[in-house]
Amino acid sequence: MTAPPRGGGPVGPSPLRFGRRARLAAVLAVLGPGIVSGFADNDAGGITTYSLAGARFGYDLLWVILVTQLALFVTQEIGARMGLATGQGLTGLIRERFGVRWAAFAAFTMIAANLGSTVSEFAGISAALSLFGVPVPVSAMLAAVAVITLISQGSFGRVQYVFVIIGVVVSAAYIVSAVLSQPDWSIAAISLVVPHGTLSGAYMLAVVGTVGTTITPWGQGFIQAYVVDKRLRPEELKAERLDVLIGVLITNVVAAFIVIACAATLWTSGQTDIADAAQAAQALGPLAGPVASTLFAVGLLAASLLGLGVVPLASAYTACEAFGWEQGVGWHWREAPAFYGLLAFFIGFAALFMLIPGLPLIQVMFSAQVLNGLLLPVILVFVMLLAGDKRLMGSLVSGRINLALGWTVTAMLVVMSLVLVVTAVSG
Amino acid sequence: MIHLSQVIGRPVRDQNGESIGKVADLIVAVGERYPPVTGLVIATDRRKIFLPWSSVATLDISGARLNTSQLDITKFRQRQNEILLKDNLLDKQIVDIDGRRVVRVNDVSLDEVEGSLRLVAVDVGAAGLLRRLGIEGPYRTLARGLRRPAGERYIDWEDVDPLESTIEAVKLRVPHAGLAELHPADLATIIDQLTPRDRAGLLASLDDEAVADVIEEMEPESQVDVLEELKPDRAADILEEMSPDDAADLVADLSDTARAEILSLMDKTEAEEVRELLGYPEETAGGIMTTEFIAVPATLTAGQTIDRLRELEPDAETIYYVYVVDDEGRLVGVLSLRDLIVARPDSPIGEVMIDEPVAVNLLDHQREVANLVARYNLLAVPVVDDEGKLEGIVTVDDTLDSLLPVGWKSHLPKRFPGSAR
Repeated sequence: MTAPPRGGGPVGPSPLRFGRRARLAAVLAVLGPGIVSGFADNDAGGITTYSLAGARFGYDLLWVILVTQLALFVTQEIGARMGLATGQGLTGLIRERFGVRWAAFAAFTMIAANLGSTVSEFAGISAALSLFGVPVPVSAMLAAVAVITLISQGSFGRVQYVFVIIGVVVSAAYIVSAVLSQPDWSIAAISLVVPHGTLSGAYMLAVVGTVGTTITPWGQGFIQAYVVDKRLRPEELKAERLDVLIGVLITNVVAAFIVIACAATLWTSGQTDIADAAQAAQALGPLAGPVASTLFAVGLLAASLLGLGVVPLASAYTACEAFGWEQGVGWHWREAPAFYGLLAFFIGFAALFMLIPGLPLIQVMFSAQVLNGLLLPVILVFVMLLAGDKRLMGSLVSGRINLALGWTVTAMLVVMSLVLVVTAVSG
Repeated sequence: MIHLSQVIGRPVRDQNGESIGKVADLIVAVGERYPPVTGLVIATDRRKIFLPWSSVATLDISGARLNTSQLDITKFRQRQNEILLKDNLLDKQIVDIDGRRVVRVNDVSLDEVEGSLRLVAVDVGAAGLLRRLGIEGPYRTLARGLRRPAGERYIDWEDVDPLESTIEAVKLRVPHAGLAELHPADLATIIDQLTPRDRAGLLASLDDEAVADVIEEMEPESQVDVLEELKPDRAADILEEMSPDDAADLVADLSDTARAEILSLMDKTEAEEVRELLGYPEETAGGIMTTEFIAVPATLTAGQTIDRLRELEPDAETIYYVYVVDDEGRLVGVLSLRDLIVARPDSPIGEVMIDEPVAVNLLDHQREVANLVARYNLLAVPVVDDEGKLEGIVTVDDTLDSLLPVGWKSHLPKRFPGSAR
């Protein structure tokens, strides 16, 4: 029995393919980067932002979720493609193509966005543990210990599957809860496909937050780096595209059902703001009743930890690659001081940030997503410029339709960010 | 010494001091130890023009001064052995042969050597990075307070191996001469850090035996990756250069079709040895043994045996013991290289050999093999079948592999802990 052929026709003479190991792990191996990225997208910030969107605006933002997921597929596919074609990470390519200053600019943009994301994951852990009465300073320290344990050599590789499984359970809980809460399916269906909304500041914030938590700067860096790290080959483009598609579907379905569950419970009952995790947990009430908050806490915790296992690493990696420093957990800390220094900075900054007294955790998580959304266009412009570069991408250069879609997405995000800034300035 | 970043963008003036444009790039011709600058690319208002070095009077951090006012506006065509310093080298990845690492070029250093301006080193230090970012001055002020000067690190051009993808625009065959002289283990570490395209280019420049040596130093996972990237006939050639046991281990990890294809492309006898070894379970003596060993009849003299060794030119790992077999191929004795050399040349080896040597059965577990090797301090232990016929030997390094934990060989620079497949 041989492995089914993966990917399109390889360029040049066919290399040997599909070892015993590859056959055994073909599915798990290739179906990796996109799916891990998809699950990590529904991290603390994701759950919170989708919950807020449903509570504040009911079904109104469902169409944004659909459009965002389509855009996510386009950008993730391009990221994977670049990894396959060049064997290099995003900032490395930016450096080669645009020089060291642009690379530094991209790296600092990434660092700023990812500091926000890391803080958001910490806030997620604190919010989850607050449901069990754990004070924030304690949970912040626990989070710091957890993330260091996670990304120290070896453990995250195995533990990530536990988070993914918890993620699946909680996602299923949202779906069941959404169904049990008897939402207005016809309105939900119409809202999903018919764009509408207002130009109010709050609405634009929610839109940018939703986009920002789904398509992220770290997500772009991560998918490309992970594809490179796994040593996937250009012939594996088709399989990798499937992997990305599955990852996007996971993000999409879960996001939509979180919005629906929150719309059918919180928004319907007139509770249009979520001040803390306990309120967000009410969306799971129809399914879990009295244990809703426990279920929510476990889910938020797992989502935050999965995010923490990915975001700081992806950030430190991207920054180091721009400057040509050793990067990755395969190096000893003495060999890669900048890499580990950055990791420590991310974790330390987030932990200390949590010590600010009276921090509104839900608001912190949401704001981090808005920050991500605002900085995203910067990264996407680089991504698109590189994706269309024939010299760099060779036979994997994005086709005209892909490029048109990608630039459309980028242009939309630029406009959206501008609108948000303008509405924020003009009050 | 001047840095490339200090001259790029500087004004170019002709003989009369008239401004023509700005320095866009420098061209060097590779081949010599320190490649001389052969030309200048100038960005004028409308286009980029090329100027041979003979038209340049001076070049320093204030800009370039020409010795002519006549501009030949020929379009620049890059020649085979030429590198554009800014386009092809700056910000690209290179191999630091001395440091055995892949690094990025922060800046390029030029200096007057033997009467001409030459590329002498690449700057990979923090100081170069700061200079490029234009914050060298502010940092120096800051650093004086902190007493932490920015690290300067230059790699002599002689110790630099430019990579294929760096200069792919140029149809230059990179010889990788410096890399070929590295120890295979160091080369394996470097290859792990390269992009697939660079890896392919580097492997193409090495001969089959060198690639075989490098592959033997890699982790099993990387071995398969590298082999799968090669064309099947080249892969077969490389496997022939490997010792049969290592080749068998590697081939075992390929798919059935790939294995069949590669074995059919290999030399008949080598392929047969590999096939035979594939028949034994992985964790048995048969699974880790090599079929390359030296066996002689007891009737030879010590001198004849040494002559035989000279003829055979055995590999390093198999030379330490000479096994003595009877007409049926059954193991009857063993001689160490030392025994052989200290024996009088005319004495029959049957007299100097050790009778009834320690041996293991084909199906003995590799742990037992390791125990024997440790207990008797052997460099290799013979493997026999049920009739006592000598089938192969297990060398001490292969028993070590079975004892050490997985993943000790070379550390792959993985970025994410979960991404191993």
